[in-house]
Amino acid sequence: MAIRRWIARLGAAAFALALLYPLSALFAHVGAWQWGTQVRGPALSSVRVSLLLTTVAMLIVVSFGTPMAAYIAQCKAKERLLWQAALLIPILVPPLALGILFTLAFGPYGGVGRLLNHWGVAMTNSATAFVATQVYVGMGYYVLGAVAALDAVPPMLQKQAALLGLTPIRVFFRVTLPLARLGLAVSLSIAWVRAIGEFGAVVVTAYYPSGMPVQLWVDLQSFGLPAVMPLLVIFLAVALPLPWLAHVLAQRRSNA
Amino acid sequence: MLNAEFAKRRRDFTVRFSLQLGAAQSVGLFGASGTGKSTVLACIAGVEQPDNGHIDLGGLRLFPPSLPLYQRPVGYLTQEPSLFPHLSVRENVRFGVPKREASNPEYVSWIATLKERLKLAPVWNAPAARISGGQARRVALARMLVRKPPLVLLDEPFAGLDRQLVRELIDDLIFWSKSVGFSMIAVDHQPEVLMRLCPESAMVLEQGQVVQRGAWSKLSSAPATPLLRSLLAQL
Repeated sequence: MAIRRWIARLGAAAFALALLYPLSALFAHVGAWQWGTQVRGPALSSVRVSLLLTTVAMLIVVSFGTPMAAYIAQCKAKERLLWQAALLIPILVPPLALGILFTLAFGPYGGVGRLLNHWGVAMTNSATAFVATQVYVGMGYYVLGAVAALDAVPPMLQKQAALLGLTPIRVFFRVTLPLARLGLAVSLSIAWVRAIGEFGAVVVTAYYPSGMPVQLWVDLQSFGLPAVMPLLVIFLAVALPLPWLAHVLAQRRSNA
Repeated sequence: MLNAEFAKRRRDFTVRFSLQLGAAQSVGLFGASGTGKSTVLACIAGVEQPDNGHIDLGGLRLFPPSLPLYQRPVGYLTQEPSLFPHLSVRENVRFGVPKREASNPEYVSWIATLKERLKLAPVWNAPAARISGGQARRVALARMLVRKPPLVLLDEPFAGLDRQLVRELIDDLIFWSKSVGFSMIAVDHQPEVLMRLCPESAMVLEQGQVVQRGAWSKLSSAPATPLLRSLLAQL
């Protein structure tokens, strides 16, 4: 029995190693890493752009996505299916195609785009375009995950809270939200990773200001691998810890 | 005080129920499993909606239209204690106290009484998710009683508990029904539990219909149906 268990454990370890193997490329011999002014300036600027604008995008995602998720979680099966189908579309559309559609819809050719242009809001190559693209990219992931998190809260607890005199909004903040918070954090972390790492759609809608994925691509094209490696390390260091921690905490809670 | 007459369709039959219950009176709803007893309580509590009829409680119309749960002066205790697991026992018990009333001496004293009588002191600051099933029932009872609801609905709240604990909880409920003056409708599949909890009267449900109502002695001496006779024969 113990031998079988060890064989299974070895298999799992081999699986995990294969999955993490690409990270070993961080130690690959690509020549001396370049971090001169030509590379450093734009790279640090892209880090600032990515962190700041993705944070803004996530605030929008949470502000609008959470009420939407709360509404869907209360819907009957048929209506819920309809909303979930709508949310799946931006997830399923290939990023590059989404970027092109987004540019057309919000550019001078689209109705909303004309209106925004009229108000002086540029929806291409601007911080607004960057944030809006990230919101579109991350929203579906967040809301679908948030619905699952809210579903996991036993309805009887919400009913008991209401019978104890709490209005629906107070039930949400005092019972539903605290009980769903880890699930919501995990959903947000997935949306964060998806948005901060987005390249295909963002490269079309917001080449400028360049976020980290676009800058990585620019550096790769202009200077080659040695210039990419420092930014790649920074990219992994700022993008991964938050979602990783949220997942680990959620797993700990569910295993407790 | 409670004046209810309603119907609720279920998959295999329709529950038809009517009851007039005075202040501080109690009635035990008795019957085999799946006869619609819990549906009756759920409709009065508001967690389910009747299809038609009316429910009035002390001049307040609960249905129709369905009064929101947060406006219903009803205590509802189910088989599952449904404590809020992210809160401590103290926070659970105080959950229904409005913020502006938190330091009201009357509430403070009432909570202290509940805490003492229900022996909650040892677990008072413990997380609700970490206490035993028996303690959880006591906490749920305290949480419900904090608001002193005029009507208390008990849906098999003692299932799975040992006899001694059930006896203690029943004594507590009787004590408070007299001191607070609330009415009670209790559901249980054990007639002896109901007879202790609601000694005044009982109603018998079969396939959603009230087949007999009155004093327990009447039910025992002249059961209306063979099923009731066999259920009461366990006594």
